[in-house]
Amino acid sequence: MPFVKKPQVCSAAINELTLGTGDKATVLGGQNVFNLYAFDAPIANRPKIGIDVSDAPEQPCPGLEAFYAGAGTLAEKAARAAALEHVDFVCIRFDLADPNGANKSVADCVADAKAVADAVDKPIVVAGCKNAEKDAELFAKVSEALQGRNILVLSAKEENYKGIAAGAGLAYGQKVGAESAVDINLAKQLNVLITQMGLQGQNIAMNIGSAAAGYGFEYVASTLERVKAAALTQNDTTLQMPIITPVGVETWGVKESTAPVSDAPEWGDPEERGIDMEVETATACLAYGSDAVILRHPASIETVSQLLAALL
Amino acid sequence: MALKGLDIFKLTPKTNCKDCGNPTCMAFAMKVASGALSIEKCPHMSPEALATLSEATAPPMKSFQFGGFPLGGETVLSRHEKTFVSKPRYAVIVSDRMDEAKQDAILAGVPQVDYERINERMYVEYVAVNHCHEQTAAAYAALVGKAKALGRPMILGCTDVEAAKAAVEAAGDCEFILNGATPDNYEAMSAIAAASKALLGVRADSLEALHTVVEKLEAAGNKNLILDVGTSSIKDAYANAVQIRRAALKDGDRSFGYPSIVNVAALSGGDQRLEAALMSLFTCKYGSIILCSGMSYAKALPLYGLRQNIFTDPQKPMKVAPGIYPLNGADENSPCCLTVDFALTYFLVSGELERSKMPINLLITDASGMSVLTAWAAGKFSSSSVKKFMDEFDVENKIKSRVLIIPGKVAVMKGEIQDKLPGWNVVVGTTEAVQMVKFLRDEEWKKGIVEKPAATGSAETPEPKRTVIPAPPIVVKEVLVDDKPVSYKHRDPNSQQFVTIGERIHCISPSIRRAMETYDEGPILKRAAEQIAAGATYLDVNIGPAESNGPELMKWAVQLLQQNFNNVPLALDTVNKAAIEAGISVYNRTNGKPIVNSADAGSRIDNINLAAANDAIVIALCSADGIAKDNEERMMHCHNMLERGLALGMESTDLWFDPLFLVVKGMQDKQMDVLNAIKLFADEGLKSTGGLSNNSNGMPKQLRPIMDSAMVAMAMMQGLTSAIVNPCDLRLMETIKSCDVIKNHTLYADSYLEL
Repeated sequence: MPFVKKPQVCSAAINELTLGTGDKATVLGGQNVFNLYAFDAPIANRPKIGIDVSDAPEQPCPGLEAFYAGAGTLAEKAARAAALEHVDFVCIRFDLADPNGANKSVADCVADAKAVADAVDKPIVVAGCKNAEKDAELFAKVSEALQGRNILVLSAKEENYKGIAAGAGLAYGQKVGAESAVDINLAKQLNVLITQMGLQGQNIAMNIGSAAAGYGFEYVASTLERVKAAALTQNDTTLQMPIITPVGVETWGVKESTAPVSDAPEWGDPEERGIDMEVETATACLAYGSDAVILRHPASIETVSQLLAALL
Repeated sequence: MALKGLDIFKLTPKTNCKDCGNPTCMAFAMKVASGALSIEKCPHMSPEALATLSEATAPPMKSFQFGGFPLGGETVLSRHEKTFVSKPRYAVIVSDRMDEAKQDAILAGVPQVDYERINERMYVEYVAVNHCHEQTAAAYAALVGKAKALGRPMILGCTDVEAAKAAVEAAGDCEFILNGATPDNYEAMSAIAAASKALLGVRADSLEALHTVVEKLEAAGNKNLILDVGTSSIKDAYANAVQIRRAALKDGDRSFGYPSIVNVAALSGGDQRLEAALMSLFTCKYGSIILCSGMSYAKALPLYGLRQNIFTDPQKPMKVAPGIYPLNGADENSPCCLTVDFALTYFLVSGELERSKMPINLLITDASGMSVLTAWAAGKFSSSSVKKFMDEFDVENKIKSRVLIIPGKVAVMKGEIQDKLPGWNVVVGTTEAVQMVKFLRDEEWKKGIVEKPAATGSAETPEPKRTVIPAPPIVVKEVLVDDKPVSYKHRDPNSQQFVTIGERIHCISPSIRRAMETYDEGPILKRAAEQIAAGATYLDVNIGPAESNGPELMKWAVQLLQQNFNNVPLALDTVNKAAIEAGISVYNRTNGKPIVNSADAGSRIDNINLAAANDAIVIALCSADGIAKDNEERMMHCHNMLERGLALGMESTDLWFDPLFLVVKGMQDKQMDVLNAIKLFADEGLKSTGGLSNNSNGMPKQLRPIMDSAMVAMAMMQGLTSAIVNPCDLRLMETIKSCDVIKNHTLYADSYLEL
């Protein structure tokens, strides 16, 4: 029997979520086939790449330090990051706001965010400090300050979704990220809870959790696959939100990326290790279902965008 | 070729006529599957059935061994559907197009990446030797001879027949794949590969053309193939890899049911980072052998970690290796903190210990990947297992501190561990990991240390043996529920009605654990009365491992419950065999045989002997180590245990098979498997039971009765005859009674719920 291709096109599709405004706006999601399966049907919007910019100093990495050389403020760093050719959006991360760390004030963060908004015309994603309470306040205030910019706050969790859905989404029309820790049932539940507050599913993106390759990535892979399968093949509208996965923040912290040459001479240059860790993890996320990845290193961004261009 | 028993069963007449010498068609099918019987033993198989058998029972994807590793044999497209079985393997390419210096450098580089990660050696498993048409066959053969010296199996990439012949000769006894069959040369290439019993790699310009060549090769008798996804573009190679695998596994296209080979070096055109991305991509989907230009640690570290993750069996509990884990700069003088090897427990406990910033040695013992209380109740975390661990890892000599903090949840083990480790100060830690931070920071553990006479190393006086409290006399008293005295109604042991086994007397419950420790009849009688009043048929009595006083405790519990409640029938639930036997020795059978809870097809299979010797019913868990991966495996375990029981003279109805109910939150896609297994038991006339409420574990309290009721209704439809449940769940009990009416096991009356 001769082989006949059987394209697997689903009747359901991932929601299209627009970030930013004007001609720099970017659209996440939209496809009615599994990730990267361009051979099944044309991909509505290719997966997007964001760049992660923290308000904290970079970790020691010559390439990154060189890239940001001379950029002192968050806005300057964000502007430089946004200027990179393959960057679809800029993710500013307020690491210093952590109450258990530098405890930078919300007012200072808002001032930073405003400066970034003035310096960058690409879409802006705002990540917090991972402290649920502080993030809720921070996201509400930044959302207010950046009203009209159509930003995404990353993200609302089980502990603080009410304040964020109301304070960022309902009050200022910003997009809300729903974050769960690699558990499909929790991911669905959080989406249900947020939509029950009155925020439309079309205004939500999901961060279903992430991990560096080798660090329990099988949970990330299976959660991504199962979410996509439920959304596309079961038409589960509570899971049709596009998935955005912060990759760099995970991969640049593991020992494969941080161990100095003196600790592991045979491993070679740490920066090369860090880039490959970021590239390989991001590729795996995209293969399993991420609609957007957030990366740190310009070289990683270059390679991942090259891969996507070749595949789609 | 592995035949699937259940597929064979579907083709049998299903008449259970016994003409083949087996009690049931299912038993026959299982034996055929295992190779013990030939299908012709059944005189009633239709020719059509026999014809479809070979086709229908062939695995969807062929599996080969190459260089000591399996290739192919996958049955699912996503790991969560079951598991992936054959990891992709990596090869570095050397080509006769390169100059000699480059060839030598590449070959010398192959062994450089070689390390261990979580018990697995990570290295470049194969070497690929490619031929280009500009070079002579002799030059290619010389390169093959040189590459062979690496001692790794080779992938010979060569489409030229003469060069292939020379290369095969040069390869000699080194294992190889001949990757070079095309629509033009496949006959000659197939002959060369077949002569050396080597796998043949096939390539073509399109999937359609590839399929046609494979069909021709198969028609000619060569099914030892591997499919090259091509190098025309990244887009095409990926499309091919996915579509080939999908056709094989989803559409049952056997001609694409072969492992794949991907040349990412050619696809990436020399860009090392892009090559790394492609290696990751094809490791995820669906490369079997991935050929690259070279392996560096930068590429390898994420790649091998990714592969290890993706190929973890999702149904096996995640375990960490047992051992001593020094935290926060602990040394030999730091105290020890003990817990089990369940990965989540480890991550939770080590995280909290690290947060305390106090130096401490975390000791991880082998508990078969179970959590603390589960492992303890199953006998996998006991004073003996702790002692064994301490000996095996030579903790006495490696660590000078003599403080051993045990989890607060198993405080009951303190005495037993203290007895077995007399030199140590066994201190009871906190019940929750999060409390350990304060426990360590405030040095609360020091309060648990008992000052001992200075140990001077010489033969000191032995520690006094801990005294075991003798069981008190049985108290018979009236127990009220809703102000009414409770008594167990006489029951016909042969009744068809659904058997509920009340699960509430279980030592995992803190109040029952304390009651068992102190022979306090109050809490035990209270829970028994509540369950009987709610309509439980049997009561389960779980006394825990009870290492020091099992027989005495079980005797006491059995007599206490039966004397107070009109000989209520009981399920005796402990890993302690002596305790079960002692319990049965005082057991009254008026209302039903005792149940031994439980045997499995693995380390607890002996409990079938125990049940047989004591004329008891046994709950037979259809798993060996961990959850059965499919119904094929469940039924294999079922028949193993059934045969054992029958050989020991048991009635088949005294083995109650437990399919192992799985939690919906986490294993939602396996629920129908469990229900189908129950149907398979019922079809053979076998009885079944199980911990049904496990399906709703982790759900909000108000949802559990709803989910459990739905589950029991569906399971009873499939033929479930019993379940271990909480009888105080009214909705569940009402559902069971209603199902019994619908199944015509009990005569309807308007008041049927009250009966």
